[in-house]
Amino acid sequence: MTAAPAGVRSGADAISSALAADRLGIPDVIYFVMSAAAPLTVVAGVVTTAYAVTGITGLPVAFIAVGAVLALFSVGYVTMARHMVNAGAFYAYVARGLGRPAGVAAAWVALVAYNALQVGLYGALGAAALPLLDQWLGVHPAWWIVALVAWALVGILGMMRVEVNGTILAVLLTTEIAVILLFDAADLIHPAGGTVALDALSPSALSSSGVGALLVIAVLGFVGFESSVVFSEESRDPRRTVPIATFLSVAIIAALYAVSSWAMTVVTGPDKIVDTARKDGAETIFNLAHAHLGGTVVDIARVLFVTSVFAAMISFHNTTARYIFALGRERVLPPVFGRTGVRTGAPKAGSVSQTVLGLVVIVLYAVLGLDPLVQLFFYGGTLGGFGVLLLIAATSIAVLVFFARNQTGENAWRRVIAPALATICLLAIVYLAVDNFATLLGVKPSSPLRWLLPGSYLVAIAVGLMWALVLRGANADVYRRIGLGAKASSSQTVPAVAPPSRGTHSRTATTARRGRRH
Amino acid sequence: MLLADEFFLIAWDTAGSGTPLLHVQATSLGLAGALLAELVLYERVTVHGARVEVTDPSPVQDPLAYSVLKLMATTPEHADVRTWLAYLAQNTVDAVANRLVQTRLVVREESRSLLMRKGVRYIATDYAKCAWPSARVETLLTNGRPMAPADMALVAITDATGLLESILSDPQGRRNARRYLGTVMATIPGSLRDLAGHVHAAVGDAVLSYRS
Repeated sequence: MTAAPAGVRSGADAISSALAADRLGIPDVIYFVMSAAAPLTVVAGVVTTAYAVTGITGLPVAFIAVGAVLALFSVGYVTMARHMVNAGAFYAYVARGLGRPAGVAAAWVALVAYNALQVGLYGALGAAALPLLDQWLGVHPAWWIVALVAWALVGILGMMRVEVNGTILAVLLTTEIAVILLFDAADLIHPAGGTVALDALSPSALSSSGVGALLVIAVLGFVGFESSVVFSEESRDPRRTVPIATFLSVAIIAALYAVSSWAMTVVTGPDKIVDTARKDGAETIFNLAHAHLGGTVVDIARVLFVTSVFAAMISFHNTTARYIFALGRERVLPPVFGRTGVRTGAPKAGSVSQTVLGLVVIVLYAVLGLDPLVQLFFYGGTLGGFGVLLLIAATSIAVLVFFARNQTGENAWRRVIAPALATICLLAIVYLAVDNFATLLGVKPSSPLRWLLPGSYLVAIAVGLMWALVLRGANADVYRRIGLGAKASSSQTVPAVAPPSRGTHSRTATTARRGRRH
Repeated sequence: MLLADEFFLIAWDTAGSGTPLLHVQATSLGLAGALLAELVLYERVTVHGARVEVTDPSPVQDPLAYSVLKLMATTPEHADVRTWLAYLAQNTVDAVANRLVQTRLVVREESRSLLMRKGVRYIATDYAKCAWPSARVETLLTNGRPMAPADMALVAITDATGLLESILSDPQGRRNARRYLGTVMATIPGSLRDLAGHVHAAVGDAVLSYRS
């Protein structure tokens, strides 16, 4: 959109004023990004299960390390976003920088990853809700009953295009963070053995074996940070708002999770956190807090845990449904997925397919008697986290190639240095992650799962590449529009940057979240 | 009948409940696109790719269309179709509804529900005339009849907002219609085709960035 820049506004420019009325500031964008983070789900669910499954205590420093790498990555990312027609989705960047086949492969990786994240949450809801149901109603339903109830609600709300209201989300987010900070304070004020142990913050954890597992778990905490660029069209001063909001979000997330995961080790003692987590599972932080904060605060926290998981479920469902919708609009998926419900404007086919997948997984896990917290929530989450890591790494490479091939006028730090550093770090993390996948899953190195789970992404990449090549042969016009998202239906061209020469005259933009929640 | 009025009558169940058939974001954007298309049909503006340009600022008969034309002519720095769609969409529903009310084709009814929210319904005074745009679109498409540019624009915008599926009720007719729609989109004047594409993209973007 080429609305007049915010600082220059003539009295007669009714258009800019009218469109600027709802513009977002930095705090608004940060809130939208963080509302996808579901902090209490991460702290109560992911971190405790991570300690239990991996048996390593270096998680706090992993959050800081990943935060630093993602901050580096964000430099090139938000800079390239300015040249993107479809800024919200990683696959669009990959398509733009590395070519459409890579872009379609990235889209399929994203589909697997985001679906894994959403479906994994059904495993967490049982752990969150069952203690409350026991405490208030004295009932002990099976985890999958709770999951199915939530599944039905999410499915219906998705079809009706109901989002959790922005104000409610803001309130929930603020309360969750307040509770987490309260728990952290209580933990840090009562260290085991009287001294605050800094062991878990020691950088030596980064050189220990199993660090790859920690890094993937840490990436999981940052999922959604990339959605800040989606708001550039709606923010007051995109060149300032988006980068600052992105960096602040990364910093806040890193600090919050690092402190919280560290505080847990302080109150139990670093040598005992793993055993405590193994014993108590998702109850860990509530039990730890109960001793110092009393029952009422802990009950409120438990309720917030349930709402956190539920809100995250809705959020990821909508993200995935919209993702499928955008891919349908570009014909990367069959066009039926690109249609909306007439009365609601909901991405119906996307929503339904995601709902069906959820049902299949819940039923499968229930029938096979698998553990919901570890094998659905944690495995689903880490599988998704690994996929997002792959996407970020691919995007980082795409950023480098994009700036190498196009004259953009951006400075060397944004164009080359930061992206190169980020790419090196990200590729190292990917290597470590694959190397330590058995530790991540808490299985023996000889277990087939250790290759099957990351290998599923190889399948996704292969499918994506094949589909792109089929499209290129069968429908050149559709092929050319890959990466444009919803704008694939218009002939919107990218403003300043010339397309990398492919020897074809194409008046459509060269290719390139989630749409994220909002 | 004017293009935007016809689109309104397709998108709104005036002959029945008086409530919209299409979700409000798509309706607003469709009406915005229809208003721009009216100006294209009056040969006052052209659309090339992402840009819209006023070629002839002389007055047109309809006051609403003329007010849009005047605004576009006095703000040439805003040449982006999507900007105009976004801006016009903020007010189109009320503006076009008013136009229809003034022709006495529909009446506006306000109702206060239990929840104190003001509901607005638009009820047809002449059912046949109000149902005609939908019926015409369906007939033209399923029978493959030749279309004037105005009809092509109406069909294109109806499809761009996702409304076409609900108009085409008969499955066999739907297949013929889809096939003929392809032909229509190939022969429609460039400005109108680009415009419809932008409406489709805008509706899609609205789905992707929806916030409650």
